[in-house]
Order: sequence, then structure tokens, then C-alpha cells
Amino acid sequence: MGRKLFALIFLTFKEGVRDRALVGVGLFSLAMMGGSVMVVNFFMRELHKVSVDINLSAIAFAGLLLTFFVSLNLMSKDMDKHTIYCVLSKPFSRTQYIWGKYLGIMFLIFIAFCILTLCSTATIFFIKSQYEVYFKEFSWLEFYKAIYAQFLMFFILNAFIVFYSTITTSSFITLLFSISTYIAGQTIEEVVLFLQSSQAMEMVMSKTIGSIIGIVQYVLPNLSVFDLKVRSAHALPISFEYLSAITFYCLIYSSVLLISSSLIFNRRELK
Amino acid sequence: MKQTISLSCFLIISMVSCFFVQQNLSEKREELLKASYMAYTLPSKITGVLALEFKGIVSDFLFLKTTTFFGDKFIKQESVGEKQADYAYESIKIVTDLDPWFWDAYLFADMLLTWDFGQIDKANELLLKAKKNRTWDFKPAYYLGFNHFYFLKDNKKGSRFLMEASKIPGAPSYLTSLAARLSMYENQYQPAIVFLNEILKTTQNKGLKNEYEKRLKTLIIMDKLEKNVHAYHAAFNVFPETLQDLVDKGIIESIPDDPYGGQFVLLKNKRVYTTSKMIYKRK
Repeated sequence: MGRKLFALIFLTFKEGVRDRALVGVGLFSLAMMGGSVMVVNFFMRELHKVSVDINLSAIAFAGLLLTFFVSLNLMSKDMDKHTIYCVLSKPFSRTQYIWGKYLGIMFLIFIAFCILTLCSTATIFFIKSQYEVYFKEFSWLEFYKAIYAQFLMFFILNAFIVFYSTITTSSFITLLFSISTYIAGQTIEEVVLFLQSSQAMEMVMSKTIGSIIGIVQYVLPNLSVFDLKVRSAHALPISFEYLSAITFYCLIYSSVLLISSSLIFNRRELK
Repeated sequence: MKQTISLSCFLIISMVSCFFVQQNLSEKREELLKASYMAYTLPSKITGVLALEFKGIVSDFLFLKTTTFFGDKFIKQESVGEKQADYAYESIKIVTDLDPWFWDAYLFADMLLTWDFGQIDKANELLLKAKKNRTWDFKPAYYLGFNHFYFLKDNKKGSRFLMEASKIPGAPSYLTSLAARLSMYENQYQPAIVFLNEILKTTQNKGLKNEYEKRLKTLIIMDKLEKNVHAYHAAFNVFPETLQDLVDKGIIESIPDDPYGGQFVLLKNKRVYTTSKMIYKRK
């Protein structure tokens, strides 16, 4: 079973590497990181903050592009081109197919993250060597912690891509649902915090809406918990307890989505 | 072949036209920006949501936009009024809502709002926000102290902020002395005594410790002398003219020596002061 799964992971990864969009995403991120060398000159003192902001945003943006274009393509291509019949005729179970695809995508994102982390390290190292005096409030450890947290977010987001691919027949709908989930996941915390604020307490809101939002906040993933970019830019310490909490959250949430996807995909009639 | 030549000609003509069109567009755009450039700010409730997980980079961009706007105004020596001050305040408020630890933004707003627009309250409001978020940094409290001393002439509050700043690890050692010295200008020796006592508990450096002990000793003497002045008033229903009156009436044995080498004097407002101003006359 393990060998079959590894074969699927490797095949998905290989297929992903062949995607030309990958080169575009890579070049865009590198240009953004390179641009940070020039942009920091426009700021007064907190050059460390600006360079970390730009580099972490470049990594996050590259991850999003990979997820919404490369991952989605890898998931939906088999369905759209009907190559799924060919794949499933091999001695794989449908569950193995789902997990293999997902882990293959995550392996691709992991390699992309490694390369981007290496590039951003080089960029920041260069800026730091030029403006050492402005990097007193900078910490490599916090910088890497933020990248780790960012990577965790893509576990959930890609699990959603897999989940939506199993319940929809069109890649466009999967894309639409995934982007909506991402936006909702990033903003749900702010909405809930606003509703808990004294300003919102004064507003007359129906009980139904209140309870709907209460339920939604547990159903939707809270993706903002993985956003440690601003904290990392100021080298504010992030505890290992927090990191383990978000790691467990990510693993549990992704597992729920993948198990659901497997169950749905096992029962799905492929036409 | 004919088609390639004609296409090449069209390409050259298009490129030349593009250059002129772009030049014209730049002029028109400049006129447009002059009339309405950044005369608006989106509330942070909206900006924060729209920024998604890119709040840091959005705050950088908004801050850059604000500094460029004012930088350009100052270079061109264009007049700036209340409208621009409001814009600066609102803009930095949003920037610091997106990134509450962004010190460059706070400092920029402080410099602009105090020196250029005279809006000290707004500058202090932003500095208080900085102080609340940058708990490890002495600078917000230090600038708040400065604003109170220099602009608001509120020595009492200024001294309090400087004291707070000097307690934060990493604050320059001179802040301690400065806060204690400035406290002399208001009726508040006692807070300075408490403050210096606290600082002394955590001071390891021998030289600094000696300096603080000397300052503390002076403040305690002045505090005691003031209490004696009030005791004189309670006993004789009149304030003494000089400190020598306290000696003459037997309230104190003699006027104590100022550890800094100056002389204690009684001011017209019946406050005890020292001619050394607590500055040690080094040989």
C-alpha cells in the first residue's frame, strides 16, 4: 500500500513540476524579493520590517498562485480530460488516489517553499549586510517560524481544493469555492472580533444572524491564525505552544477534509 | 516578405506613437493627481479586511504613499493645511491599525503633527497607541514626555512619561536623571524619589548607582526642607522668607549641603530649589 501511495505522490509531484505555470510563479516571486532590495531604500528606519514583509508576502503569494492554479489543475485535469478512468484502472483504491494526489501536491508546495525560503534568506541576508544598523529588531528564528505557519495554511487550503474537486464536476467551480473559502477564512476572525466588540453590541442584530455566524466560525477554517507575518517582521516572539496548537489544528482540519473527500469520492459515479 | 516589412513599419510607428501618447498621459495624470491625490482614506475596518493576510505589506505601501505625498509637498514648498493634517492623522491611524508595531509610522506622524501642524493631541494619541503596543520600546513614552514638556508645557505629565520610558530595558541611562531633574519644576519630588528608589533596585552599574544615590539624596533633602517650610507655616501662620528662618526658629539645626555642590534656596513660590539644578560640577 505504501509503495502505491508513494508512486502516486511521486507522479503527482512530477506532473506538477512539468507545469509551466510553476516557472511563472517562481519568476514572479523572485522579482518581488529582488524588488525588496530597492524598495527598502524608501523607508526611514525599520528596513528589517519592510524586507521581511515583502519577502514573506512573496512566499505567501507564490503559495496562493501554486494552490489556485497548479494544484487545482493537478486535481481537476484527470476529471476534465477523463484520464481518471485510466488512473483508476490501475491497482489503486479511490482513497489512495485522493491521499496520493494531496500528498503529491503538498510535496510540490514543500519543495517550492524550500526554494523560496532559500531565496528570501539570501535577499534578507544581503539587505542586512548593507544596513546592519537597521536590523537590530530582526530575528531569523521568528522569520522561519512565520514561513512554517504559512506552509501550514496551505495544508488546509489544498485539502479544500481536493474536497471541492470531489464534490464538483467543474474546475471553475472548485476555483471559485476555494478562493471564497480562502477569503472567508482570512476574514472570519475579524468579523467575529467585530461582533464581539462594544461597537457591534450596540447594533441591533437578529439572533438568527448571530447564531449563523457563531456556527460558521466553527465550520470555516480560521486561516488568519497562520498569519504571523507582521509579528515576525518585528521579531515578536511566537511561542512553540502556539506553533504546536496551529500544527494540530491544521492536521485535524485537513484530515477531516481528506477523509470526507475519500468517502465522497468512493461513492461518486464517474461519467 | 512584403508583409514582414509592412508589419515592421507599423511596429516602429506604433512604438513612436506609444512614446508620445505616454508622455501626454503622464502630464494629464499629474494634473489629475494634483487635484485629487490621496484625498481619501479607507477606514481600517475595510482596509484590514481587504488586506487579507497581507496587512504588513499593505501598511508599508500606505505609509510609503503618505510619506511620498508629504515629501513632495515639502520639496515643492507647497502650503499644507488642516486638510492635509487630517489626512496624515487618518492615514497613519490606518497604517498602525494594520501593523500596530510600525514605529516609523508613529514617529513620522509625531514629527509632522507636532512641528508642522501643531496638533499635539493627535500626535500624543498615536504615541499612546505606540506605547500600548510597543511595550518593549522606551521611545513612545520618551516622545510623549518630550511633547508634554516642550509643546504642552506640562512638566508633571512629561516627567511621568520620561520616568516610564527610563524603566523600560534598553532605555538610555540619562533618561533616569533627566526625569528626576525635570520633576523639580513641579510640586512632585515624591514621585521622583519613588522612581529613583525603584531604579536603584535594578541598577548594577557602580557609577550609575552612585549617581542615582546622589540624586535621590538631594531629592530627599529638598522634600524634607519643603515639609519643614510647611511646618514653619503651621507653627507661625506665615511662610519663612529664607531657609535661614528655619534655622533661626529652631526647626532645623542647619541648612544641609547640596551633594552636587550648589546651595538650597527658598523660591518666592515657597518651593525649595537648588542652585546646582542637580547637575554635578565635575572637576
